[in-house]
Amino acid sequence: MDPISYYLQTALNGVLAGCVYALFAMGLTLIYGVLNFVNFAHGELIMWGAYFLFLFMGEPFGLPLYAALPPALALTGCLGIAMDFSVFRHIRRANRLTLLIAAMGLSVFLRNAAQFFWGAEVRTYGLEVTAGMRILGLTLTTPQIAIIAVTILCVAAVYVLFFKSRLGKSMRALSDNLDLARISGIDTKRAILAAWVISAVLAGIGGILLALDTNLSPEMGVINLIKAFAATLIGGVGNLWGALLGGLLIGLAENLGVLFVSPSYKDGIAFVIMVIILLARPYVIIGERSD
Amino acid sequence: MDLLLHLAIVIAIYTIFALSLNVEIGYTGLFNFGHVAFFAIGAYTSALLTLSGIPFAVGLLAGLALAGLCGFLLSIPALKLQGDYFGIATLGFGEILRMVVNNEVWLTKGPMGLPGIPRPSLFGVVFDTLPGYLALSGGMALATFAVLSFVVLSPFGRALKAVRDDETAAEILGKNAFRFKIKSFVIGSVFAALAGVLWAHYTTFISPGDFTLTETILVLLIVVMGGKGTFLGPVVGAVVLIFFQESVRFLRLPPEWTRLLGPLQQMVFGLLLIVFMVFRPEGIIREKGGRRGD
Repeated sequence: MDPISYYLQTALNGVLAGCVYALFAMGLTLIYGVLNFVNFAHGELIMWGAYFLFLFMGEPFGLPLYAALPPALALTGCLGIAMDFSVFRHIRRANRLTLLIAAMGLSVFLRNAAQFFWGAEVRTYGLEVTAGMRILGLTLTTPQIAIIAVTILCVAAVYVLFFKSRLGKSMRALSDNLDLARISGIDTKRAILAAWVISAVLAGIGGILLALDTNLSPEMGVINLIKAFAATLIGGVGNLWGALLGGLLIGLAENLGVLFVSPSYKDGIAFVIMVIILLARPYVIIGERSD
Repeated sequence: MDLLLHLAIVIAIYTIFALSLNVEIGYTGLFNFGHVAFFAIGAYTSALLTLSGIPFAVGLLAGLALAGLCGFLLSIPALKLQGDYFGIATLGFGEILRMVVNNEVWLTKGPMGLPGIPRPSLFGVVFDTLPGYLALSGGMALATFAVLSFVVLSPFGRALKAVRDDETAAEILGKNAFRFKIKSFVIGSVFAALAGVLWAHYTTFISPGDFTLTETILVLLIVVMGGKGTFLGPVVGAVVLIFFQESVRFLRLPPEWTRLLGPLQQMVFGLLLIVFMVFRPEGIIREKGGRRGD
């Protein structure tokens, strides 16, 4: 392969990875915006989303991919609601360190539950590998085309939901000021519920896309949580479009970074970027909300 | 008998580990989710040095020094963050360190791990029996308890609590909160490394698999369940949880069960963290004068 197409292919892979990270980051930043805490168990929504699809595609269901998607995403959404009902709604007013440890506990519980049922080994959906299409000298496989298409669809859906619907308006109001939203008669319970469902479904979709392109393992949640977080930091915490941009940047940086460092450190690049941002703009994420 | 000695040794090591995290979480309010990294730095430094024939005392001190230095270097950017952000940054550091240990095969042998770490000898005494090792680790645990109790009882410890409870007020009173946090983080890192050194020379084999998020969670649970910000909390937590964790290993179970037992045990740990946070966030032993719910 000539050098120029090599760089272009690397950049394309970066954009593909970035699309997935953007989906993770949008969900993470949404919960942050509405409930003002980082959901440390967000990575487990990513991982369980992928495993729910694995469940419906395997025995005893044996559904084809397209039929297995709706129930898998529905279950991921339910898992998001279950997180809120079982843990977070009881400690809504607790200090953030309590929230943090509880989320950590939830993450450990869910990660090991997946390992309990499916084992620690890396798995794939067992789909046939099809030859990639060649466009302008670049190779694109079917899952990769799906990643781009689905991300565009999701971003469009999130846009419509947030800026064109009443529900989106109430979520944005909540994100600005919870108490004010409540006394102005907004159904905060419904908006919080909706935020959990959207966050979980976005995580599930991203997890499935990632697993389609690579593989799935119970450990995939932790590392992707860090990437999602780095992406939200780049974009400004609580900012949906920032999360999209941040995700793309992290994906690009990771894939282009491999040109300079060993690929075994690819997963560390997001972390390094995160630290650099924090060093350069240390107070960017402090004092954003006044409550 | 051997089982009891083994339990006591592991409890002593984890007491040190938990006490070190308690300085950060309990007294300063720093949520270090990468604490295992410093345990690993201690373990690997001392193991690598002693394996190349350098005396244990040097390996021990080098492990503590390197962990302290890494703690210092990490704390400067990380401590500019609060709460959640600090947690993510330290979590990331823990994962990166494991990546380094896994990949720098020339130094750490990567996933193969380091076998044959020598038993320690100090002043001509070799601690190569279980009772001997218990004396060493138990003595170290007592010393850690004494030193850290002294530290947190001193004006320095009161300043830490002041920073934790109200940073702004502490600043107004002329305390440089940032510096206190760095010092607290470095102290925590050094003692975590001490636990790591003792661990490496006890098991005589270490590999990257020993230093995962799982270990961080265990030590976090020990501190939180026992009662963060108290003297005895981490000790009580270590006794209860290590007893639970290690005794399960010695049950004679069919092999197909043991594969499930690990995740099941971790699920219990996760659940305990949640239950304590929802129903009794202050842990078994409550901090004197601490506000309920903290």
